[in-house]
Amino acid sequence: MKLQRLLRAHTPRILRVACLLALFALAMFVWSLFDPRPIPVILAMSVGQVLGTFSLLAFLAVVACELRDEQRRETERTDRGSP
Amino acid sequence: MIANLSPFSILSLTCTAAAATILVTYLVKHPPLSGVIKVWLLLGLGVFPIGAAFAGNIQGYQTTEKRAFCASCHVMSPETSDSDDPRGTSLSSRHARNALFGADDCYVCHADYGMFGTVLTKIGGMKHVWMYYTRYRGVSADDAKKTIALYKPFPNAACMECHSSTVELWKAVPDHKASLDDVRADRVSCASDGCHGYAHPNARPPGVHTK
Repeated sequence: MKLQRLLRAHTPRILRVACLLALFALAMFVWSLFDPRPIPVILAMSVGQVLGTFSLLAFLAVVACELRDEQRRETERTDRGSP
Repeated sequence: MIANLSPFSILSLTCTAAAATILVTYLVKHPPLSGVIKVWLLLGLGVFPIGAAFAGNIQGYQTTEKRAFCASCHVMSPETSDSDDPRGTSLSSRHARNALFGADDCYVCHADYGMFGTVLTKIGGMKHVWMYYTRYRGVSADDAKKTIALYKPFPNAACMECHSSTVELWKAVPDHKASLDDVRADRVSCASDGCHGYAHPNARPPGVHTK
């Protein structure tokens, strides 16, 4: 419930942060491709992976929350309209 | 530069470019979260980054098997210089000239085999990276070779992945025949003084016999 409130209140900010994290993760992968030394490769395959996964999960959480709200609104509208 | 990239690198870069275009456009324009924008963000945060990571990981794993990757830690230069020598007579040099080993010769010889061989080898590689950054980063290659050694003796099983020690031609060599049990039991190393010589004579500390 707390998480849903947080997601609803900060949707634009969460999506912006998710985009920035994903860009950062992608930058790590590009770095590892052009500079294939241990640190870039290990960072891309660990930190890059985690950041990318986190950004996708954040986006999916926002979308799930929105869909749920929409469904609830729809149910309320139907209930009000029924005799 | 692009011409030197592998297909996996190119796929990873293409997915990265597509994802970055979508994400930067979203960050600049701040559109409301409509259905269409959700689909674009799913592509930019999900589909393309997963493609980039998938191809990038495969490329990453392949990169870690290259001799150039091992040589990127300067303390490995005595070992890799043996392999790099096109006229070298050391075991590593002769194997590096074989197409089955080629630029991956460090990995082919030093990888653990068996069901979890790849995983164990990668874990061992992480240990090498840790040792490098905590202990050897500021040490010269000449000084480092006095202390760098394999964690455990090089197993003959690695040689026997190719040289099975069962074919008649191999057993026809008198020294092989005489030492067969010892070789299989790792009591005598193939890569030792008196047998086929050290794999990396350049990496032996000064004063150690290298013939």
